[in-house]
Amino acid sequence: MLRMKDVSKVYRTEVIETHALRELSLEVREGEFVAVTGPSGSGKTTFLNIAGLLEELTSGTYTLDGVDVSSLDDRARSRLRNEKIGFVFQSFNLIPDLDLFANVDVPLRYRGLSRTDRHRRIASALERVGLGSRMKHFPAELSGGQQQRAAIARAIAGGPKLLLADEPTGNLDSAMAREVMQLLEELNAQGTVVVIVTHDPEIAARAQRNIHVVAGIAADLERGPALVRAPAGAADHHQPTA
Amino acid sequence: MRFLVDTGPILFSLRRHRTAATLIVLQIALTCAIVCNAIFLIRERLVRMDRPSGLVEDELLRVRLAGIGTTEGAQALTKRDLDALAAIPGVKSVVSVNMVPFGTSSWNSGVSTIPDDPKSPMNVATYLSGQDLVGTFGLNLIAGRNFQPEEILSFEDTAEPAVAIVSKATAERLFPNQDPLGKALYFGSKHPTRIIGVVELLARPNDWGGRDAVGCSVILPVRMAFGPASYILRVDTDRREEILAQVDAVLEQNSASRILDSKFTYTALRRDYFQQDRSMAWLMFVVSAALLVITALGVVGLASFWVQQRRRQIGIRRALGATRGDIVRYFQTENFILATIGIVLGMALAYGLNLVLMDKYEVERLPAQLLPIGALLLWSLGQVAVLGPALRAAAIPPAIATRTV
Repeated sequence: MLRMKDVSKVYRTEVIETHALRELSLEVREGEFVAVTGPSGSGKTTFLNIAGLLEELTSGTYTLDGVDVSSLDDRARSRLRNEKIGFVFQSFNLIPDLDLFANVDVPLRYRGLSRTDRHRRIASALERVGLGSRMKHFPAELSGGQQQRAAIARAIAGGPKLLLADEPTGNLDSAMAREVMQLLEELNAQGTVVVIVTHDPEIAARAQRNIHVVAGIAADLERGPALVRAPAGAADHHQPTA
Repeated sequence: MRFLVDTGPILFSLRRHRTAATLIVLQIALTCAIVCNAIFLIRERLVRMDRPSGLVEDELLRVRLAGIGTTEGAQALTKRDLDALAAIPGVKSVVSVNMVPFGTSSWNSGVSTIPDDPKSPMNVATYLSGQDLVGTFGLNLIAGRNFQPEEILSFEDTAEPAVAIVSKATAERLFPNQDPLGKALYFGSKHPTRIIGVVELLARPNDWGGRDAVGCSVILPVRMAFGPASYILRVDTDRREEILAQVDAVLEQNSASRILDSKFTYTALRRDYFQQDRSMAWLMFVVSAALLVITALGVVGLASFWVQQRRRQIGIRRALGATRGDIVRYFQTENFILATIGIVLGMALAYGLNLVLMDKYEVERLPAQLLPIGALLLWSLGQVAVLGPALRAAAIPPAIATRTV
């Protein structure tokens, strides 16, 4: 489903180069529930951004559902992102001006689906997360758990093959976090690949497989550390030599 | 249509930002109302400035004299002046006439088709000249004939003219669907003045009588002396300045006891006459342009503010599949919606403003075809103004969605 080979991401400014990912190679297969863990600043979010086509990689190859994304332009990347990937963010990222129905509708509109199809999908997704009766509510009128469930409805309404979740329980209390995790597990059970970025060991423990990222390098903990692990801590910074 | 893909959510969002949206809508509405009326008034002025006189203006010079002391023998002196001016090389003909189109004085009379009519149905500009005014003005005589020498009276005579040449507008107004030649006119008395000729156009000196009366004039064969009258010289177009420079010396030779009041080419006379209209048209243009610039800045300001305020939301939309083009279109659609509401309100306001102007000043009804011009102008202005902020919005990276607030 998701295959990265020797993927590097370097942020350059006039005075500094930051290596956020260093020749990272990993694979996530169909039907998997994977947790990506690692300390703050290790490159987890950069990995998520690249996996979700939110950022371009500096070098290496990335294949998503058989498509090599390295050479795609903005339009093709946006379309692929819209069709294949659902996002669940730590801070929910619902649009405050729109009610739940309109929020879930956002990615569907960009796909150009018919009104009837969109309405069917929105209703089904909101029902699926238990918010069928709250369609006309605005995000500010809901609890954190409900907002995250609405965000999951938005992520799944388009029927993505890959669900990328960035600390999805980070802003929730434990009861709500369990609720959200249960929902993600159900979606995985129905065939959606779930990749969850977290630094919470309890959450990570519920995944089928953990990938630990340290200093921009990944190690597959299920299979043992196949890659050389760099010293723990932030991604390293050094002055450019060129 | 991709353009309309965001209409629903935009309306949704605008309802939650009512104050800012209302303010920009009102600004657009006010601009639309003022600009529509300003375009109309500018057009009116331009049409007015372009008003034809019926004269061969680029061949004419106008000279005015003022006498010092008594003006005894003024008619004889005028005759000598006309002869002397006609003798200047390049002068084709000269007349003495009581007024000219776009001049400063205006002689008007009530005229009727029945004798002793206490309520004359029509007012006409009355040109008086004892020379070949038709030929010197270059008027187009479309029916009848010019005056004969024996028909010409002196201004000092008490008799009333027996014949007249009328403009086509006067003839059509007094004798609709009839041949005016030979018909009698009455200038508030029993004395008939027969129409012997019709000229296609001879404009009134000024706006007296309003727009419909512009071409209503009559020429009577009455000799005018300098003082109340002007001398009009028809000359070779490219010798106008040269001849104008000789006029002083020629007239002074005839009599030194006069002051040359003014001498102009007719082109300058027209320019001076419409100076106020030209200034007003420019003023309207500058005010409209300033208003449009202020509105454009308002649009830029609000759109920039909203882009800044919605950075995260834009990133989220990008993350959810919006292309850069979708983001640009979002802001363009939003602006289009606001501009459309503003334009609709502005059109109603434009008509309201026009009604006030019609009531307070002599302004015509705003023509409906100006409204789409105003609408197009504001739509285009809005789209151009919003483009910069929209492109900045489109440059916001989708990765902003994963950054923690």
